Amino acid sequence: MRLNLFCGALLAVSLLSGCATTAKQDVQPWQRGTLAKSEMAFEPDPLMSEYRRQVQFSKEAASGGATIGGGGCGCN
Amino acid sequence: MRIALGLALALMLASPVSHAVKAGEAAPSLSAPNAAQQSINLKDYRGKVVYVDFWASWCAPCRQAMPQYDRLYQQWAKRGLVVLGVNLDSDRAEADRALKRRPVSFPVVYDPAGTWPARFELPTMPTGYLIGRDGIVRYVHEGFRTSDVPALEALIDKTLGEKP
Repeated sequence: MRLNLFCGALLAVSLLSGCATTAKQDVQPWQRGTLAKSEMAFEPDPLMSEYRRQVQFSKEAASGGATIGGGGCGCN
Repeated sequence: MRIALGLALALMLASPVSHAVKAGEAAPSLSAPNAAQQSINLKDYRGKVVYVDFWASWCAPCRQAMPQYDRLYQQWAKRGLVVLGVNLDSDRAEADRALKRRPVSFPVVYDPAGTWPARFELPTMPTGYLIGRDGIVRYVHEGFRTSDVPALEALIDKTLGEKP
């Protein structure tokens, strides 16, 4: 009985310890070197990327929607 | 069951609490090699005003900031200012290429493993830490815009003027 309890406790601890460490698994600001490479972009060609963005803004009425702070005012 | 829950709770509470270095706190004592493979410790600069600039070749605002920091370094090195560049490129060749394109006169150390930023808990790239002569962080400068320079210059000037 006591062994069972101990094993249960050990299992719970080992499973829950995963919750405690997940915050550290994020990509940190200084680890974005690989992500910053041009081949990691959805559209490495800047002209094509701008063209696609323009089409997206017009269709979605979401200026800046591809990055932070998407609009969506419907005025585009 | 109660023991299990208690243990789990204790473990969660004991998990490392994030602690970013902020103004008013002592700068951590860290060391890293420079281009000549000499170990440079932040402690070595005690008594001087140090501006620690974290940069990487892939970070555009970092590249924009470096000539400005170099100008400040050349302007105030005699008054006791040290700009210490901490390069965070995982590939050293890329850092060397960036430095060849835009050479700087201030010391640069290389930390590809990211030990320094992990200890400082860098909020963003680039981040600069202005450390006073007593080793206490005076100001944390997140990001970089050319328009930040006058305010930063004034702060460094003020820190240089402090009595040791």
